[in-house]
Amino acid sequence: MNTINTNTYFLIVFFTLAYFVFIARKTARQQLDLYDFVMLSMVAVIPATFTFWPNIAFWLADLAGVAFPFVIMFGTLFLVLFLFVYRLTVKMHKLEKDNLLLLQEVSILRLEISSNTDKIKT
Amino acid sequence: MKSARVLLIIPCYNEQKSIAALLKEISELYQEYNVLVIDDGSNDDTFRIAQTLSPTVRLLRNMGIGGAVQTGIKYAERYDYDFCVQIDGDGQHPPGQIFKLLEAHAKKPVEIIIGSRFLSNDTYRSTWVRRFGGQTIARVMNYLFADCQISDPTSGMRLMDRRAIRFFANHYPCDFPEPISLAWALRVGMDVHDVPVEMRARQHGQSTIVGIKPIAYMFRVLGYIFLARLKRTPLL
Repeated sequence: MNTINTNTYFLIVFFTLAYFVFIARKTARQQLDLYDFVMLSMVAVIPATFTFWPNIAFWLADLAGVAFPFVIMFGTLFLVLFLFVYRLTVKMHKLEKDNLLLLQEVSILRLEISSNTDKIKT
Repeated sequence: MKSARVLLIIPCYNEQKSIAALLKEISELYQEYNVLVIDDGSNDDTFRIAQTLSPTVRLLRNMGIGGAVQTGIKYAERYDYDFCVQIDGDGQHPPGQIFKLLEAHAKKPVEIIIGSRFLSNDTYRSTWVRRFGGQTIARVMNYLFADCQISDPTSGMRLMDRRAIRFFANHYPCDFPEPISLAWALRVGMDVHDVPVEMRARQHGQSTIVGIKPIAYMFRVLGYIFLARLKRTPLL
């Protein structure tokens, strides 16, 4: 059942470490927040988990009635991806709303300032 | 008795050909309306022309009709107006008809009064597709909301009282604002009535909702209306 060879382990370990270093640096530079770090790290954590403990994939596939265990791995990754996209969409809409409010406030204030300036001039 | 303070809000986008005539028409009414033009980031001379004739808010970028109207409503709330009347900047809504909305409110005070194209036979009629779309939305709203008898939910000519001003200053839809704002208002228990008004054909420029777009508009609006109706907790 377990057909993973040493090369696969090396490849996964290398990818996981390189990827973690990459996103950890981005997080340290505050280009990502901690939540993003956790979500994005799943891209490495999930394949690594299934590589080192492949029986989990077979057990889950059996449980879900899925013929191919890799479907479980991709399914899990897609789930994390959808959660991430959902969170980004909510965040984006909030930013859009905040942006709208700010633009409205600035526009009204600009009118108030110009009318006050006119009053001072007269 | 102190007379009611009325703010006319005129959202406009690239209306340089019609805005001056509209503002002149309003000034000739001899009514004590305060006017606020909201230039929704026009690319033409709308702001320059409007600014010489009326206080004008220039939005830093185009925010769409919803964002523009809400800016005017926020201004009305900030300066404590009793009523806020929205009319279009393209000249479709004759300012001489505004008194009908105020009269209707005096007779029966409700939060929102719409100027309806469909209650009067002698008014300007738009294309059948638009009429069909508008009337379908009206039927659905009348079915979904109790005590709602609206004939023209997509009309951009409407009066809002203090309660509606306070509500819309904080909650106003960006997409398809006319019918959806009514659905939101109905959902929080406001009353909406309409009165017949005469409208004119657009003087200059073209509507963006042409061809089969009114049908797509109708379906999208109906989706939002169903969502508004399903929302358990009031938005207020």
